[in-house]
Amino acid sequence: MDEILLTENLTMTYRVGKVDVHALRGLNLSVNPGEFVSIMGPSGCGKSTLLHILGGLLQPTSGRVIIGGEDLTTLSDAERTDLRRRKIGFVFQRFNLFPTLSAEGNLKIAEHIHGKGKPSRDNRMRLEVLKLLQLENKMRHKPLELSGGEQQRVAIARAVINRPAIILADEPTGNLDSENSKIVLDMLSRLNRELGQTIVMITHNPEAAAVARRTIEMRDGTIVKDYLNASN
Amino acid sequence: MTLETSYFMDSLVFSNIRQRPTRTIISVSGVALGVILVILNTGLVRGMLNDRIRRERGIGAEIQFTRKGSSMLSPSSVMSLDLRYGDRLRQIDGVSQVSPVGRYVQTGKSGLGFEQVDGIIFESYASISGLKVVKGRVFQNDSEVIVDEFKARQSNLSIGGEIQVFGKQLKVVGIYAPESGARIKMDLSALQTFLAAENKCTFIMVKVSDPDKQEEVQKRINSELPGNVVVLTRDIATGFGRSIPGIDGFVNAVLTLSVIVSSLVILLAMYTTITERTREIGVLKSLGASKSYIIGVIEKEAIVISMIGVAIGLLIALVAGWAIEHGTTLQLEFHWTWILTAILIGIGAGAIGALYPAVRAANQDPVKALAYE
Ligand SMILES: Nc1ncnc2c1ncn2[C@@H]1O[C@H](COP(=O)(O)OP(=O)(O)OP(=O)(O)O)[C@@H](O)[C@H]1O
Ligand SMILES: [Mg+2]
Repeated sequence: MDEILLTENLTMTYRVGKVDVHALRGLNLSVNPGEFVSIMGPSGCGKSTLLHILGGLLQPTSGRVIIGGEDLTTLSDAERTDLRRRKIGFVFQRFNLFPTLSAEGNLKIAEHIHGKGKPSRDNRMRLEVLKLLQLENKMRHKPLELSGGEQQRVAIARAVINRPAIILADEPTGNLDSENSKIVLDMLSRLNRELGQTIVMITHNPEAAAVARRTIEMRDGTIVKDYLNASN
Repeated sequence: MTLETSYFMDSLVFSNIRQRPTRTIISVSGVALGVILVILNTGLVRGMLNDRIRRERGIGAEIQFTRKGSSMLSPSSVMSLDLRYGDRLRQIDGVSQVSPVGRYVQTGKSGLGFEQVDGIIFESYASISGLKVVKGRVFQNDSEVIVDEFKARQSNLSIGGEIQVFGKQLKVVGIYAPESGARIKMDLSALQTFLAAENKCTFIMVKVSDPDKQEEVQKRINSELPGNVVVLTRDIATGFGRSIPGIDGFVNAVLTLSVIVSSLVILLAMYTTITERTREIGVLKSLGASKSYIIGVIEKEAIVISMIGVAIGLLIALVAGWAIEHGTTLQLEFHWTWILTAILIGIGAGAIGALYPAVRAANQDPVKALAYE
């Protein structure tokens, strides 16, 4: 099997006081390199929990998570952090750019962390990404000087710049109007098509979900539907 | 070209320092304060001691004889040594001359520090120390004093001027050189009258006939007049630090205080910073930043702030030192070891103060941090 991401019987139980909240109940998912997968499902069905576990931000209660051949669940906290540095790019609903840094500074800090403290010498990837996301003229701007759509494009650039194995996006268009949503979705699918970037994206919007080639529907912590979108 | 901009100028560290000016100013001031404390206090202690040592050595006598319990520097003004000891000292083998000195200590004119007045018998004192009146004349009655050139310059005194001693206005009739002992000198009998201490003095200067044999003379005095304090003037240089009660404790207290001030200010500043920036720390974690990376970002920021504080503190301390030298009777002497100590304390305390916030930030739960409003 060459899947880039695989989960086996993944469960996650939060304990709130004396009550157990079963956020994931034996979830099995596999994603191949180059896939663009959207995840849909009602609020509270465990989508964000799944994404956080896939990115190593959260340790599952049981089950296995394999990213590019490495089993996340056997790793220490520091090792998961390191795996995240090497293989994962996150995109959030709230953009989460560093407000005091320019767009360029935001990209550079990602490169700096990825390069373990050494600034990257190779500009080619950065230039290609910036061109693809049409951000060449925005590099000097601070986040507050950019529109929501532009901020999210910078955040996507930051996530993709180190060529992670997978981009994990949690409702990337959730804070955008329909016009900017369309632009951001278009950028994501171009990254997927032109760079072969694997993407897993949570969304509440069926139209957004349809941009991905494959859609997964979740309910109560498991996958209830998994299908390909014909139009792509 | 924008892409070539130096990483470091655009890094989180510097942008946060620029972006939060109030916090930066407060923490810089805290560190600067610590540096100023250390430099001025150690400078004052050094200056004071060295000045006293110089003048004590200028006395010219190899041996000083005094009673147990009377310190030559502490501000006690009791004259308790009987003048008749002078005659007995003079009879000891190897002693060539003696001269009794009464010492009175008063608060400095600006309220800072203290100032001493020596009551002397002019002829014998001058013959031992080589003191000469370079302007005016010697005191001739109880209301006249002479001062040294430093005192005259600093207090703007000239012949005929007035100076306050024991709350009385005394007249300056002469200026002498070189410096030795207290900067204000009056007749010993006048001092005795003022202090109602007839036939008493504070210590007796003893000049030996052969300086190479001063230790033998010291021993002889000790055995013939036991129970008194007999010190070699050359030992006073090393002994002064200890003869001012609590001087080491004072310096240590100043050092400790400045470490505490600097590190607390940095701790508070960095603590508020990491709370404010919880989400940013979550983002750093989502990008795969290790704990040591996050600790590094916060420590670097604290150290840069500390270095700015140290630089400003140094500058202020040097300017203030100059002002103190020129505006008060206090004498300052800066020394590179103390300046270096101050720099190390400033930067070290900053680094230590930032450690707790840094470790706390590094251990934050990434999911919670990312959800922080
Ligand atoms: N830290 C937590 N502690 C306790 N319960 C939690 C925690 N995080 C999530 N949950 C619970 O786990 C379940 C799944 O939450 P999750 O955030 O994964 O849902 P979601 O599908 O992302 O929802 P939404 O579409 O609203 O973002 C919910 O019932 C939620 O209340
Ligand atoms: Mg969610």
